[in-house]
Amino acid sequence: MTLDSTLAWRQRLGGAKLPFVDSRIYTDPQIFQEEREKIWRRSWLLVLHESELAEALDFRTLSVADEPLIVVRGDDGKVRAFLNVCPHRGALLLREPAGNLQKANPSGSPRRISCMFHAWQFDSRGKCLSIPRRNAGYQTRLECEDVRLHEVACEVAYGGFVWVHLGENPAPLAEHMGSAFEALRPHLEAEPLEVFHHHKAIVRTNYKLWHETNSEFYHDYMHHFNRVTGMQQPGYYDRRYETFPNAHVTVSSMEVRYTAYEHDEHALANSRDLSFPGLERNGWKLLDLFPGATLNLRGSALRVDTMTPLSHDRVLIEFRGLGLKRDTAEERERRVRDHNTIWGPFGRNLPEDLLGVTGQGLALRTGSEGLHMLHGRIEDATIHDETGLRHYYEEWSRRLGRLASAPYGDESGPRAKEPARLPVFRGGVLAQ
Amino acid sequence: MSETAALRAPLEEAIQRGALQLDERRFGEFLDSTASDFRYRIQAYSHDLRKDMTFLDHDRAGIAALFELLPKHHVNGAEWLRQVSLQTVNRRGETSVESVSALSLFHTLIDAGDAHVDGGSSHLFAVGRYHDAFRLVDGRWLLSERTVRLHTRQLGIGSHLIP
Repeated sequence: MTLDSTLAWRQRLGGAKLPFVDSRIYTDPQIFQEEREKIWRRSWLLVLHESELAEALDFRTLSVADEPLIVVRGDDGKVRAFLNVCPHRGALLLREPAGNLQKANPSGSPRRISCMFHAWQFDSRGKCLSIPRRNAGYQTRLECEDVRLHEVACEVAYGGFVWVHLGENPAPLAEHMGSAFEALRPHLEAEPLEVFHHHKAIVRTNYKLWHETNSEFYHDYMHHFNRVTGMQQPGYYDRRYETFPNAHVTVSSMEVRYTAYEHDEHALANSRDLSFPGLERNGWKLLDLFPGATLNLRGSALRVDTMTPLSHDRVLIEFRGLGLKRDTAEERERRVRDHNTIWGPFGRNLPEDLLGVTGQGLALRTGSEGLHMLHGRIEDATIHDETGLRHYYEEWSRRLGRLASAPYGDESGPRAKEPARLPVFRGGVLAQ
Repeated sequence: MSETAALRAPLEEAIQRGALQLDERRFGEFLDSTASDFRYRIQAYSHDLRKDMTFLDHDRAGIAALFELLPKHHVNGAEWLRQVSLQTVNRRGETSVESVSALSLFHTLIDAGDAHVDGGSSHLFAVGRYHDAFRLVDGRWLLSERTVRLHTRQLGIGSHLIP
């Protein structure tokens, strides 16, 4: 390493003219803890789709910001969310990833959420129904009426997706969304949707880097598929970003030319003619939602990414594919094939995206030297503009009270953190 | 020797040779051992959705295209090893047989992950079963259909290669 290269590494590319963030926002465990408290526990989060809870008493379990949750469709048809924790002694209530409460478990009766440990039982609305030998043990000191499951704010909206918020009395979901969903509303709310695909991956990277991948198209250079079906086709460079309050972003459509991908037998058979209501054939629209969900509507399939950050350098990403609930078997088969040819775990694009973001996770390690990560492409909000990234970090900085470009603020301030030390060279020789 | 035992030997040979061809990326040879109407699918039961999912579904031309286009895609570098155990064989007709084999798929990392730290380590990538159908054509048992039923649903970043 020479002095010149060291200085060049420390300097911002483009000097003060190019926006950037400090890469330590991805690598600092303390910042991750703050994100969990100030963002993930205080935001509406898309967690699943109502079609996963098609019948009364259907449930799903998941975790959000380290809180285990049950999302259940009650006997009254309403979808609710509860902490998946027994109020008695803190045991996990439901262990399966999904199911229906009609089925009794060994400790409880049908139609109830029963704790396996001491058999306390609750209904699908969170009400306590049974405490075994309550009179003998608690006499009049504890009644069933005193006990409830901890309910979490939950709404079903915007295409039938289920949203939760861990905060107490949060502002309505509509306030968080604003008008960001309007571009997709005609296609996703004309008729009911249904999930046909779900898989997940735990990726060694910071969650924001995945959201960034979903928020910029400059990385289409990585994808042979996207280059030939998108970048080299008319309309690609006309696609535009639109930003919305609360850091949501949409991208306008183009017609994807699937036939340009060599040997795409489905395209050659001209079978990619399924779409969504009101969406042009092989159209492509995208909505990125703060803090970490993406709705990617392309051709015949809607892909939805959601994230559960596990640590500063590990994230669980869930991938869903959706079609129309009324699909015939033949239509559904085509949507599934179209979706998974590109976005399945053995698809053309998804492994490349995940490979790219894993590489960032490997390069930017805990405690590694801060790097000026460029978010500086300004192209009138067209497809390679990085306005989506800049918009995200405006909100991120506001929520955390830290600038993404200077997360430690004034080095002499209360949040001072010793910046990573670079080797000092004098005359090309390591001085210390 | 029973009829089933007599059938097992050539099918076992075909399945094991096919696994080796895929391991060693001799895709042309693998395709040569498939019927002209070959269909290949990867499926899994989702305990999250409580329904079956199809991860990949291609005819012979589609699979051939995947192989041919590999050089144009970024592929996670690893050596693959398919451990296959033939479990059942059932004759369906004079010239058709179905079989089920258990599959364990290991990969040994080359550039997947940190090549310096992780390179050379072996990991279980997926487990599942091959549900195969064979057809006797000119004295050879050709693979006419393969459905890979995966138990594993966490597949890391996924793969451009097929199990």
